[in-house]
Amino acid sequence: MKYWLAALVWLMAESASAQSGLPLRDVRVVWSRGAPKVSFSAKDLADERVRKELQSALRKRLVVTVAAHVGGSARTIVRRQFGCDVTHDLWEDGYLVRIGNRTERLPTLEKALDRCLVVKGLFVGEPNRYESYKGEEIFFSVEAEFNPISEKQCRELIRPSGNSDAVGPITVSIVRRRICKAERKVLFRGKNVKVPQ
Amino acid sequence: MSRFERKILFAIGLTVFLTLGGSIFFAQGALREVYQVGVNEQFGQELVHGVEARRDQLIALRAGSEHVADAVGSAVEAAVIDKASPRALEALLGELLARYPGVRSIRVVEGDRVYATAIREPDPNAEVMRATLRKREITTRAKNLRIEVEVVVPEVHFQRLQEAGAVADVYSRLQRESASVSDVYVWVFGVLVFFVIVVAFLIGAIASRRVTRRVTVLAEATRRVGAGDLTVTLPTGSTDEVTELTQAFNDMVRDLRDSRTRIEYLQRISAWQDFARRLAHEIKNPLTPIQLAAQELDETYSGEDDGYREKLEHARAIIEEEVATLRRLVGEFSAFAKLPRADLSPADLCELIQSIQDSVPAILEDISEDGPAPVEVRVSCATKPMHVRMDPMMLRRGVDNILRNAIQAVYAAKPTGGGHVLLRAYSIEKTAFIEVRDNGPGIPQGDWERIFDPYYTTKAEGTGLGLAIVKKVVLEHGGEVDLDRAPEGGARFRIELPLMDSS
Repeated sequence: MKYWLAALVWLMAESASAQSGLPLRDVRVVWSRGAPKVSFSAKDLADERVRKELQSALRKRLVVTVAAHVGGSARTIVRRQFGCDVTHDLWEDGYLVRIGNRTERLPTLEKALDRCLVVKGLFVGEPNRYESYKGEEIFFSVEAEFNPISEKQCRELIRPSGNSDAVGPITVSIVRRRICKAERKVLFRGKNVKVPQ
Repeated sequence: MSRFERKILFAIGLTVFLTLGGSIFFAQGALREVYQVGVNEQFGQELVHGVEARRDQLIALRAGSEHVADAVGSAVEAAVIDKASPRALEALLGELLARYPGVRSIRVVEGDRVYATAIREPDPNAEVMRATLRKREITTRAKNLRIEVEVVVPEVHFQRLQEAGAVADVYSRLQRESASVSDVYVWVFGVLVFFVIVVAFLIGAIASRRVTRRVTVLAEATRRVGAGDLTVTLPTGSTDEVTELTQAFNDMVRDLRDSRTRIEYLQRISAWQDFARRLAHEIKNPLTPIQLAAQELDETYSGEDDGYREKLEHARAIIEEEVATLRRLVGEFSAFAKLPRADLSPADLCELIQSIQDSVPAILEDISEDGPAPVEVRVSCATKPMHVRMDPMMLRRGVDNILRNAIQAVYAAKPTGGGHVLLRAYSIEKTAFIEVRDNGPGIPQGDWERIFDPYYTTKAEGTGLGLAIVKKVVLEHGGEVDLDRAPEGGARFRIELPLMDSS
């Protein structure tokens, strides 16, 4: 039993150090009625290869995940994620950007990237999530991913053969994790900020 | 855990590990090859070509639609420049709609006012189309017109491009991750094999433990037997070789136990024979002087005292009677002491029973002073010969003792008749049985244990040697004798003798 506890503590410590050890970047935080509004740019996700892929006329996905953590700990207070589907439109010039159910047409790739990766005033969680951390230090981590295949699509594309054995689905599940992960990922964190009283 | 168990477990573990571990070693190459066959560069390139072809198709469709829009715009522009009436212009628009199926509508607009228009009737069964508007400005002297041509292309072309792109995307990932994915297969296979190894080892351990535990128990039992404990009996259940070994062990212990009992009894009998010989010798020697002295006292008295003479004669009679009794006892002791060892040779048991049957009238005469005793004695034997190794004289003496005891007991209980005694011989498998049973009073169960001990008797006149002789004789024949209650209510003696193989 004590070995399991030791392993659990080690895993938590590792996870905490992984979050705290992220590169520090500019993540601006403004508190509005007890909830944080964060602004940052993850546009460096779009390197040359990513830009080329975005111009391919195939639908590509950009996913940004922002999470608030207790300072010096791995504990996540709240997590917010949004995804952007970007398609270079061959029929008419421009880029179709779909966020949720809303689709808009943007004339250039730069504007599409700004729309998806430059975040301004994004609410991360409701005020009540921060109630118990008033006066404490927290920080925000950002994870921007290029083209992770959604779980649903991944399930459709990589399927077990349909045999009745139990091993096939397990194997496929492991393969899915490897194949459907993001092609490129940018991770960073902001400075510690105090939750206002 | 015993060394034997450890060795078996080691052997099982080694076998399982070598077999399955070897299969992992050899299978990993095969798994990688299988993966490479399914996911290879050529397939990936063909998929990419397919995506590019769909993209080129869309680009071509767009170029085509632009040409159509240009052609329609030029025709309309020419008509406008020729000052065609709105009616003539609408007729032209209708013709153009009919000529170009990729055009959904054509409108000629002046500011906010529609100058002329033609719209294709919507087809409810038509596939979903993606539309775009191509515009063209015309300026004449009188008017500033704009021509709007709405061209359409089936939406399915866009969908197919995205679908092909998604598949190509996954395929290119599978290609990129080729090494790691095939590693996953190898790992999964390895984990499964490890699981099988563990299960196989556990099953092997459990199965071997069942065997080794029984062998350990057998070894422990052997040690106990070696230490002299012959009461050991091991349980037998299954039908494997270990069970056969256990059964053989039980048989061996039982034989040892029987032999020891037999030897102990014979040793005891031998000691009693020695005692009887010395007793007979010590008693026999003074009997004659005692008798002679009594006779001399009686015969040499010359006095006149009639009372004294009468006492002398009475004393002489008592002494002579007691001396005679002692002589009889000494005779029996002496006979018991001189009882020879059985000299065994093959003979038919039924012939022996027949000879005993012949002596039955004499026994009946001997028992009763008033003619033959009114006891019905039935004798039977199997029709086929029963060959046993025996000393006919000794065995006959033993059976005769039992038969005589039975007749005496029945006669004592039923002196006026109604007594039955049965003497029969039969065989079951490799054992011959001689059975003597009666409908007399029987022997109390409390005496069954000691009834064969020398000098133990329940009769007033008995010496307690008859049944001891019986048991000695039977044991020397390699048999057994036991006593229980007869179905008729009396006693039942049963002698077991081993049949010869030819019987």
